[in-house]
Amino acid sequence: MPALRVDDLTKSYGQTLALDDLSFEVRKGEVFGFLGPNGAGKSTTINVLLDFIRPTAGRVEVLGRDAQAHSRDIRSRTGVLPEGYRTYDRLTARQHLEFAIESKAADDDSEALLERVGLADAIDKKAGGYSKGMSQRLMLAMALVGEPDLLILDEPSTGLDPNGAREMREIVREENARGATVFFSSHSMEQVEAVCDRVGILRNGEMVAVDSVEGLRNSISGGTTLRVTVDRIDNEAVQAVRSLSDVSTVTVGSEQPPTITAQVEGSKTAVLTALEDHGVDVRDFSTDEASLEDVFQSYTTGTEVHAR
Amino acid sequence: MSTDIGSGTGSDATTIEVGADAAAGGSSSSSINPASVRAVAKKDFRDSIRSWMFWGLSVFFFTLLVATTGAISYFGDDIAAQGQTTEALVAMVNGITRLVIPLIALILGWKAIAGERESGSIKILLSLPHSRKDVLLGKLIGRAAVLSVSLIVGFVLAALVVVALLGSFDIVDYGGLLVMSIIYGLAYTSIAVAVSSLTRSTTIAGAGMFGIFVLFYILWDTMLVAFMTLMNSGYLPEGETSAQVALFFNSLDPGVAYQNVLSLATSMPEMDQQTVQILENTFGSVPFYLQDWFAFVILLAWIVVPIAIALFRFDRVDL
Repeated sequence: MPALRVDDLTKSYGQTLALDDLSFEVRKGEVFGFLGPNGAGKSTTINVLLDFIRPTAGRVEVLGRDAQAHSRDIRSRTGVLPEGYRTYDRLTARQHLEFAIESKAADDDSEALLERVGLADAIDKKAGGYSKGMSQRLMLAMALVGEPDLLILDEPSTGLDPNGAREMREIVREENARGATVFFSSHSMEQVEAVCDRVGILRNGEMVAVDSVEGLRNSISGGTTLRVTVDRIDNEAVQAVRSLSDVSTVTVGSEQPPTITAQVEGSKTAVLTALEDHGVDVRDFSTDEASLEDVFQSYTTGTEVHAR
Repeated sequence: MSTDIGSGTGSDATTIEVGADAAAGGSSSSSINPASVRAVAKKDFRDSIRSWMFWGLSVFFFTLLVATTGAISYFGDDIAAQGQTTEALVAMVNGITRLVIPLIALILGWKAIAGERESGSIKILLSLPHSRKDVLLGKLIGRAAVLSVSLIVGFVLAALVVVALLGSFDIVDYGGLLVMSIIYGLAYTSIAVAVSSLTRSTTIAGAGMFGIFVLFYILWDTMLVAFMTLMNSGYLPEGETSAQVALFFNSLDPGVAYQNVLSLATSMPEMDQQTVQILENTFGSVPFYLQDWFAFVILLAWIVVPIAIALFRFDRVDL
């Protein structure tokens, strides 16, 4: 049984189609990164999972139960960090936690949870004075109440500094190790690639790719980019490089200093050797691997992206 | 039950079908869980009790009672002579609370749901295992508790002064006014929370509250006057039925019901003999809707009906 199953989910607002026949599954026990640019439909999908909004068509199952008919059961086993929420200004962090603990009939310790998210020093301060990052930590603590089977985190890094984002990912790893499935939405690949087992990329309400991080990395062509700075451009040398079996494209930059850029699948030394065999002096070279950010860009903008 | 969600063709038709489906199922997600209601009510009460509003209200009710008592003890020698001081206090205070409690309840309930939807804090409530019905009922109880507790604090503190100032203190009359005021406040809180649940804009909710205010403070009486005028000038058939309709309509006003119901809980006379005589001459007997037990039913209906409509509807909307 998958932790989450979305079947042909469509949601339209009048003429606007927010989700278009969206289907995907999240396996039990995995960390799933739900990626897409702002406005792609990530929050709409999550709102359907939580029964905040009703689908126009399609079916959603969370933890094996229908998301609409059994929403209360689902939410009692799920921890949620929603997007676009606002904390209760007049309640303290402790009172927020107490409310979540009472609501879930759990027996967690508010202080321990707030300590875990790094908010222990503001425990009795009213949330009205919190920064965005502090609110985000508070909501994460509330999501952890009751050791949920599923964590749904909508843009959890919003408002967090790099250090806070790393702590948040650390908590995601810990929760996953405990056995929780994590569904994690983000508009930035950087936030998810370090923790996610699999990634789904959403664009204009449609899933354009679902794969492991490794699979996505391999899915774009070119492998490694080799950039060689040479003393001069020699056409024969360039032809020789082009004819190598491991090299796909070669471009020549004629500005000073002249550079030759090649997409290489296999051995990079073969390229350097070919150049030197033709009397070209190699001054410097650098390599770049395709980053996941590039993969994400290529899927979400539709433009062809080469490795840097 | 839910498997046919995707089977609709038109998007509009499907949305309706889905809504009806979710409700008709009587499923766990649209049920009412008392523990959830309590948790939401407690949170809502805590969220508002710290505000100046609660203490302001308590002080207001205290002052109202003490000032009225002071006026009676200073000017009301005749009342005191007849030993009807608590009764007079109840009548005078009731005249003011009838107008003030609705305003307070509408202001307290205005943002109950719309405010949380507008700001997004409702996502915190509904990320936890509460149904939407739990949230509505919890809000109603939480907001009503703010008004009720401030009424109780004001009344209890004022009682000390009232006992000292008034020659005779009738605790049943005094308590009766308090209890009926709480019920009256609950009715208007129910109206306010229901209206607040219809929209996610606090501006529209505010306009709704103003509409309710105008309806019960101005329109209701105006309609009655218009009806009478039309009847008297012959545009409507003058007679028993028309009079019955007018009186019945009048008795539906929650403020009228609040005033009438006091005779049930206090020693205030239900109706003077003259009125009873006129009514008996006209209708043969006093119509049921002019009796104080019916006024109580009306008040209860003003609690139940608005929140029931909201419970039904709020389950069907996108947040």
